[in-house]
Amino acid sequence: MKNEKQYNQSFADEVFRRVDFGQEIKKCMQCGVCAASCPLSLDMDYSPRKIFAMIRAGKREEVLSSEALLLCTSCYACKVRCPRGIPVVDVMHGLAHYALSQGYVPRKNTAIFAGEFWSQIYKKGRIDEKDLSRRYFFADGFIPGIRNSLELADIGISMLLHKRMKVLPERSIKGIGALRKMLDKADEVRKGGAVS
Amino acid sequence: MKYFLYWGCSLEASGANFLVSLRPACEALGMEFEEIDDWNCCGASISYVGGNDLAIKVLNARNLALAEAAGGFDIVAPCSSCYIQMNKVNHEIQQDPELASTVNEILAEGGLSYSGNIKVRHLLDVLYHDIGVKTIADHVVYPLDGIKVAGYVGCQSVRPYGEYDSVENPVIQDKILTALGAEAAYFPNKMRCCGSGIFLTEMEHCARLVADILNDAIGHGAELVSTVCPMCAMNLENYQGRINKLLGTEFDIPIVYLTQLMAVAFGMDPKTDAALNYNIIPPEKVLNRALH
Repeated sequence: MKNEKQYNQSFADEVFRRVDFGQEIKKCMQCGVCAASCPLSLDMDYSPRKIFAMIRAGKREEVLSSEALLLCTSCYACKVRCPRGIPVVDVMHGLAHYALSQGYVPRKNTAIFAGEFWSQIYKKGRIDEKDLSRRYFFADGFIPGIRNSLELADIGISMLLHKRMKVLPERSIKGIGALRKMLDKADEVRKGGAVS
Repeated sequence: MKYFLYWGCSLEASGANFLVSLRPACEALGMEFEEIDDWNCCGASISYVGGNDLAIKVLNARNLALAEAAGGFDIVAPCSSCYIQMNKVNHEIQQDPELASTVNEILAEGGLSYSGNIKVRHLLDVLYHDIGVKTIADHVVYPLDGIKVAGYVGCQSVRPYGEYDSVENPVIQDKILTALGAEAAYFPNKMRCCGSGIFLTEMEHCARLVADILNDAIGHGAELVSTVCPMCAMNLENYQGRINKLLGTEFDIPIVYLTQLMAVAFGMDPKTDAALNYNIIPPEKVLNRALH
């Protein structure tokens, strides 16, 4: 019987061209070792294996809005175990970054937290944990911010009492100006196409 | 031996008991540490959302370049996220000349360059391969006799390369625990993920991961869990009460850094050296059997 099914290759081409490590997907043989190794694959709408298959099948919307992209814990089990040597975790990270750059927000909380994380690096060169949590809690405004803070207040207070919180605000590193120039340049270079 | 100590952002805050105990415990073994002047964040496990891959490589290359210019000693990265990020980028730059030249072009914006001659190492690697369990055992004054400890390694400490210990069944932490006089519990979940950097934002999914790890440790008779990662310690200790609420469990097991156990066994001060007062779930109730 002739296979009449036609796949649209354009999304796969887009991923190969524009997503960091996107080309690696070409090596996938759909064995599912990544899905079996992933600590949160059962909580994902699509496992990494399915995501790779869907990219080849041209399912752009489903892939870029998939919660799986932001449920990666970065445990690297998939990368260690992939029999084809695909750095699965790096591909998932590349897809997450690309999805957000295209306006998709697969998991709101993690996206906000991670966005604040990166902007702290860009502003100061280092992370101030308490400031990061505060910005995350108050991302939706003052009232939700108070509610979120109260919700986890016991954890914050116990950390403060046990010297596990920096009391003074984090200062910028001395070379912050140069670091920003480097990060801007990396962005500019990257716009010419995926590097790896 | 002299090393750069790249302790990173967490060890100055939520992981403070790691840094406080690491210095005296390791210096007693003859290790000498220097800070990488003006180091920046490694990007940790969620920087990929905001930063592209090249930008994250540049973050780590800047630290490598600073270290190379300041003497080129091996870098010890006690935080597992710092270790995996910096080590990964270092390997990628060393193996890919085209990437190395792109990164160097970008580093030049800040007057820096990196030729690829630094080694990035995990604390467990250095303790086991440079110092050795015999030297560690020789420093023990108060052996942790009769204390059963689950050595939790976590994901990022040996992955992805497995350069100094097995990626599937690492044994070095258990060997160090044994050298301290403790009994290392059988602990098949020692490599299971705790949720890492997304625990706070994805708690309803990650609580189960920590419960699986703690149940395994307690089920095999452990009275303490020892770790070498600030993220693991945060998720296993600081969120333990929250996990109990979410899942109806009754966990109350202390989580300590391996270096805290070393400081205790080496007869150092329980507060100023072992930083036991930094722990939220008090480990003294178990460690008092060894404390002087």
